Amino acid sequence: MSDREQGSRANLLEDQRMRMIVESLDEYAIFMLDPTGHIESWNPGAERITGYTAREALGKHLSLLYPPGDDVQDRIEVELSTASRTGRYEEEGWRRRKDGSLFWCSVVLSAVRDAQGRLLGFAKVTRDITTRRDAETRLRESEERFRLLVSSVRDYAIFMLDPDGNIASWNAGAEAIKGYTADEIIGQHMSRFYTPEDAAAGRPAKLLGIARTQGRVEDEGWRVRKDGRRFWADVVLTAVFDGTGKLRGYAKVTRDLTDRRQAEEALRQSEERFRLLVEGVRDYALDMLDREGRVVTWNTGAQNIKGYTADEVIGRHISTFYTPEDAASGKAEAELTTALNEGRFEEEGWRVRKDGSRFWANVVLTAVRNAQGQHVGYAKVTRDLSDRRRLEEERLRLAQAQEAIRLRDEFLSIASHELKTPIAALQLQLDNLRERLAGDPGNASRLDRAIRSSDRLATLIELLLDVSRISTGRFVLHRQKLDLKEALTEWLERLAEPARRASVALELQAEDGVVGEWDPVRLEQVVSNIVSNSLKYAAGTRIVVRAQREGGSALIEVEDGGPGIPEEALPRVFERFERAAPMRNYGGLGLGLYVVRQIVEAHGGSAHAANAPGGGAVLSVRLPCLPQGATAEAAQ
Amino acid sequence: MNRHHVLVVEDDEEIRETVIEVLEDHGLPALGAENGRAALNLLAGAASLPCLILLDLMMPVMDGRTFRAHQLNDSRLATIPVVVFSANRDAGSHAEELRVNRILPKPVKLNELLTIAREICVDAPQPA
Repeated sequence: MSDREQGSRANLLEDQRMRMIVESLDEYAIFMLDPTGHIESWNPGAERITGYTAREALGKHLSLLYPPGDDVQDRIEVELSTASRTGRYEEEGWRRRKDGSLFWCSVVLSAVRDAQGRLLGFAKVTRDITTRRDAETRLRESEERFRLLVSSVRDYAIFMLDPDGNIASWNAGAEAIKGYTADEIIGQHMSRFYTPEDAAAGRPAKLLGIARTQGRVEDEGWRVRKDGRRFWADVVLTAVFDGTGKLRGYAKVTRDLTDRRQAEEALRQSEERFRLLVEGVRDYALDMLDREGRVVTWNTGAQNIKGYTADEVIGRHISTFYTPEDAASGKAEAELTTALNEGRFEEEGWRVRKDGSRFWANVVLTAVRNAQGQHVGYAKVTRDLSDRRRLEEERLRLAQAQEAIRLRDEFLSIASHELKTPIAALQLQLDNLRERLAGDPGNASRLDRAIRSSDRLATLIELLLDVSRISTGRFVLHRQKLDLKEALTEWLERLAEPARRASVALELQAEDGVVGEWDPVRLEQVVSNIVSNSLKYAAGTRIVVRAQREGGSALIEVEDGGPGIPEEALPRVFERFERAAPMRNYGGLGLGLYVVRQIVEAHGGSAHAANAPGGGAVLSVRLPCLPQGATAEAAQ
Repeated sequence: MNRHHVLVVEDDEEIRETVIEVLEDHGLPALGAENGRAALNLLAGAASLPCLILLDLMMPVMDGRTFRAHQLNDSRLATIPVVVFSANRDAGSHAEELRVNRILPKPVKLNELLTIAREICVDAPQPA
């Protein structure tokens, strides 16, 4: 036989096989259309589904099968041109039988071209998927059920196997999916498409056997392409028998499910992520109950809140978590019923942990239904509110404490204001009296002591007033341009007398040109408080007040010749009401240096305490020369 | 018109009396009023006006600020110099607001009080 004869004989055989396949299927309407959409062939399946015999159908236009409508012709036109342009057209839709009844079907239209690419017509595969048909096909489980498209279809590998399982035919879809050309593969055994593991396990033979005995077999699994790459496939193997019942071979339809598998994998992963999410939530107990209210799933949060591990609790009824009184009274059941009837139930109440301890919980029970609306169980979210209650109580206590402080500061403010009045009168009288006693040294010196005491009293009250002003926010700076050297000279002048009494040599070492905008009254208070404080410890020695520029700030240092400050007390020197340790604050209200820090910080600066290398303490303040940003001040 | 006495407007009796005493001890006659209203009444019926008003700010019935406003509105009283007592350290702002000559911070120092009183009442030239 010549090559050409062999070729045309092969074509003939191919056609025969195709015809057999097509004819043996009565579940699918498979027929050809010419390029204009007229029916060119018919199969038993088409007759079965549509009710028309071949004679009635041949030559008719496709619109025969469509439900009546104005746009039928246009629709068909669109379908055919889409199939022609892209190779295929697929849809689900209504079609009409001969008796007028409508059926829902799945339709694939494929363009059929010759070797030169000329459009020969269309292949149409229609499958009736109305439930009636599904019911029928389900009844015919053991019968052949597979979708076949003619050889030009590319989404499916459709080919014949001989009775031994060798490949007898091939189509474009098979080539696209598996990679082999017809020449390469025809005559080979189908087991070459299986993974080495499957082949070794005898899977191909097994599947063929099932197809043979049961008529068909459907399988999902890995298959292997020519290049060795694996793909997830849906395979239907159907045994084909001739009229006498003899096995002629198998029809195999393979679909590459990689896309679908990827989608399923994505779904599985997202479900996995969701599960991890639920698992990972620690603050909420998220659990699922079955219809009777028994625990089905348990998460980390549930374990944290209630104390049970998953093993201990799965299968137990939720009344386990209720107080004995509530459990006995049937509260749990009542709540489940409410959730079922109304969809959800929420309450705050007592629950019980594994160790028997009670906690105040917020609980939401939601009835869960499946896609068909059947009740499948409950979802429960529990939150332990103990912390929240605790926080609320703390917040309340804090608010009360703050109010108490505010009232105290208000009182201090009023009290110190009131105290100043009699002090003022006292001082004035004493001064007056002192003047009149100028010629009586004995009485004059006694009066001096009285005056000093009253001065001290006045200072302390002033301090008290300042502190209360700071606390209640009524502390305002009135800045002025100051030359620090000039100002310090004046202020130290006023401290000369107290320094003399303490036998302290008070010395000023100030640079020229240290100028800034500061509140003079407040700054004097700073210097005066620091020096007064140092005077207590530097008796008999000297105090040096230094002032210099440091970048954009002024640095004022007060160094004394006293014993210095204990290391551990250094950071607390400028604190308020320090009772423990700071000897520095001993003898006053412990407020002088606190006020110093407040004033300095109000100027945007800082206060610092250290010990001098030669013994003695150095208290220093840094003050930005100019106000920075928005500070609470009134410019003068 | 003899403007040779000081008017002390202060609600606290001790301070008022002490200030008056100090001033008189140093040759400056002085009168007292316990609040702004009393001061205005006194001035309304006075044969002679004071050379200086020492004014407290915080007083009941009528406070220092209100008194000052009335004083400035009355042409007869407007030119009398005023020095404000202030118990408030932050009195700086008041000076400008009240347009007063000086502020005397409380507690009042003896020599400061005398210096100011002398300056304004004794050394200052008297209008014809």
